[in-house]
Amino acid sequence: VAWGISRPGARHRPGALGYDPAVKKSIAIVEDEPALRENYAAALARHGYQVKTYANRKVAMQAFTTRLPDLAIIDISLEDEAEGGFDLCRDLRAMSAELPIIFLTARDSELDAVSGLRLGADDFLTKDVSLPHLAARVAALFRRIDALRLPQNATDMVRRGALVMDAGKMQTTWNGKPVTLSLTEFWIVHALALNPGHVKNRQQLMDAANVVLDDSTITSHIKRLRRKFLEIDPAFDAVQTVYGMGYRWVE
Amino acid sequence: VSIRLQLLIVALTTLILPWAGCQYARELENALRVSQENALESTADTIALALSAQPARVFHGPEDSRPYAEEQGDLYVFALHSAPLLDGYREDWGAAADPKRLPSADGYGARLQVGSTDRYLFIYLEVDEPHFVAEPANPDVDKDRFDRVDVTLEQPDGSLESYFFATAAPGLIEAQKTLIQGDGTARVANEPRIQAYWLEAAGGYHLEARVPLALVGGRLWVEAREASGRKAGFAADSAQGGRLFMATSGLGELLATFIRRGTRATVVDANGLKLGTAGALRAAGLEDDTSGTWYRRFVTVDTSSWPVQASLPDRITGKSITAALAGRPAAEWLRSSAGAQDLLLLAAAPIAVDGRTRGAVVLEQSGDQLLDLRDRALAHLFDLTLLATALAVLFAFSLATFISVRIGRLRSAADSAVGNDGRIRLEMPESGSADEIGALARAFERLLARLNEHARYLRTLGGKLSHELRTPLTIVRSSLDNLESEGVRGDQRGYVIRAREGTVRLQSILSALGAASRVEESIQQAERVSFDLAELARAAVAGYRDAFPNARFMLDVPADGCLLFGAPELIAQMLDKLVENAVDFTPPGGAITLKLARAGGRYELSVENDGPSIPDAMLGRLFESLFEHRQGSDDKPHFGLGLYIVRLIAEFHDGNALAVNRPDGNGAAFRVSLPMI
Repeated sequence: VAWGISRPGARHRPGALGYDPAVKKSIAIVEDEPALRENYAAALARHGYQVKTYANRKVAMQAFTTRLPDLAIIDISLEDEAEGGFDLCRDLRAMSAELPIIFLTARDSELDAVSGLRLGADDFLTKDVSLPHLAARVAALFRRIDALRLPQNATDMVRRGALVMDAGKMQTTWNGKPVTLSLTEFWIVHALALNPGHVKNRQQLMDAANVVLDDSTITSHIKRLRRKFLEIDPAFDAVQTVYGMGYRWVE
Repeated sequence: VSIRLQLLIVALTTLILPWAGCQYARELENALRVSQENALESTADTIALALSAQPARVFHGPEDSRPYAEEQGDLYVFALHSAPLLDGYREDWGAAADPKRLPSADGYGARLQVGSTDRYLFIYLEVDEPHFVAEPANPDVDKDRFDRVDVTLEQPDGSLESYFFATAAPGLIEAQKTLIQGDGTARVANEPRIQAYWLEAAGGYHLEARVPLALVGGRLWVEAREASGRKAGFAADSAQGGRLFMATSGLGELLATFIRRGTRATVVDANGLKLGTAGALRAAGLEDDTSGTWYRRFVTVDTSSWPVQASLPDRITGKSITAALAGRPAAEWLRSSAGAQDLLLLAAAPIAVDGRTRGAVVLEQSGDQLLDLRDRALAHLFDLTLLATALAVLFAFSLATFISVRIGRLRSAADSAVGNDGRIRLEMPESGSADEIGALARAFERLLARLNEHARYLRTLGGKLSHELRTPLTIVRSSLDNLESEGVRGDQRGYVIRAREGTVRLQSILSALGAASRVEESIQQAERVSFDLAELARAAVAGYRDAFPNARFMLDVPADGCLLFGAPELIAQMLDKLVENAVDFTPPGGAITLKLARAGGRYELSVENDGPSIPDAMLGRLFESLFEHRQGSDDKPHFGLGLYIVRLIAEFHDGNALAVNRPDGNGAAFRVSLPMI
């Protein structure tokens, strides 16, 4: 079985030992803006997570060396460190290959998103995201993690030729090979593949991915996910641009 | 008035140099004239002094204080340099004047001239005589009627002797006189010492007679008589008239020793009659050198009002002669003839003998020498100043042209510093120059740099604002999210909903504000591939027809491929923006035309729409960031980012974007020009 997220050392994850779904999952929020921090914490706590908040990288790292959270939500600029979030992400990824990391930032530049995802973040959200959407993302990521331990459930499967998408586990394969899509990319491909041949405009894709993005960001997401498929299959041509309208899945 | 003209006028003020030169030349000429006057006057004085020491060689005969009375028959005797042949012709006389007409009571025409050499007195007479009556043989002088000439001489002893000339046939004849014989009868006898030649000429006869000076005293009467009784001339009258005023022989040679070349010296008696003359004026015009004469008209002292030389063969008249004869040396400038520019300097000095003025020495000199001197001095001055002026004008004109060309370059650069696409060109021409124009160009550059800085600040302001406002907005929104999740009382719900609507609007505004910088960034990362622009346009229009069912789309693209190396997504995005813009301003049922054409190595992609025109003032600014040009049809915030994105994408492809109004005033056209390579 190949998974959407498969990293070396996955089975030696510290938090995986004695893992119990019934136990409250812990989420770390590293955010220097107190009001936001508290709002996020309150919302996630309401969804039944155990939330710990940190104002800067130093405090966060101290806590993480003692115990890793089950998921980390990190702002990029932390107090006086403009790119402190990136450093933190790198450190966390070094400590655990499988810990889900979400960047949540006021920055929305293409470059930041690319850098964040390259450092191993699982998703990159701008602060435009609403709290329910944030909660949905968090839940989806946990679902992906949980799927590593749960039996296969075929109900949420989408199969389109070489493409297999498991919406339950947020996992994608092409020709049996795993494609490591970020959550946003997953939902874009999912929305396209669900109705092959139908043109989805940018707004529809944004709705599907539960994000507010502008046109060029959608374009770059498409470009990036195409590249991911092309790495596996150089002949990949299933995501087509329909100029003036949007994109569609072609089988 | 242009700088060029101004400097030209300034340069022309150097013409004051030649003008000053002219003034100087005039003064020089006046000074030269005065000095020449003085020199000639003193020369005349010297000669007069020398002559007064030897009056016998100057004045011949006893002093006669009575004035010369031509009307009473006084005669001036020309000095003849050599004895003429007795042939009835006057050509060998060398006298400058024509014979003088003799008075006649009845209209008989006769002209007389008298000359002398050392030994002879010559009489020349022309008589108009249509019917020649020859002398009979043995004529009776009192009774016989024939054409004859009576000549009466005062002999040296004071007695009068009458002769007559007549002939039966023309030719060499002798004078005849009537002798009273012892018996009281008269007899005509020849006087062989007095010879003459009777020449028959057209309309009359000429008589040329030769009388030995030994027979001549101081007086002579000549009368021509016709057979019919008509006569002309003077009858002998012992009381008055007939006096001979003779030039002094040898005086010319004497004078010649005093004078230099180019000067003419004349001695006149108290009547102003010429006693002797020597030398010649330099003939005017002989060595007339034409160079440098053209400017004479600017410098010559006006001489047209000067008196004209009174040129008479037998005498000299004029102010200075009168003055000299009154005892005062004088000099004056004359014109040699009316209408001519040749000048003549005349100086006269009295010749005093025994304390009384008996005559005067008159020296004449051509003024041309003076002109030559002046011209030589002036020609150089003139040429040099004119050259200097020409150079100054040329230099000033080139400088002015140079400056005005540079300023013109600067001006056109300033005019076009802010391009149609809103880009600011920072380099100005001439900014490398060290002078004021260079300083001006650099000042322009600084100004443009600040303007550019400002424009850049405005461009990025949106992005910065959007970034800075995003966090507080997120705080508000997430708080609202939490508030809703915690449960809101029914009557409070409306407020929460309104607050949320507010945040949504704020959100969209912020998103639009920040879009420009995000777009710029994503454009820079775009990858280029080779693709068919025509195919893309066709596909895009197909999409627009679905997306905007209310608008009519027209497509006009070449049938064959239009290959472009670029980013197709960006081109598509650019078309989206142009079409969205067009749709916003197209009235219901209006047409939107998408055209693609090749034009000289470029693709011209244009989107035209029916609808209102764009005000001219806005045409150049449409493609600026956040420039809102017209009111759209909906309530969405319009920050004009769409056309800014169009410009960015066009520039990414090394092209440019341009907005124009349709010539017919119905609608606008947005054109993007892209190079093929």
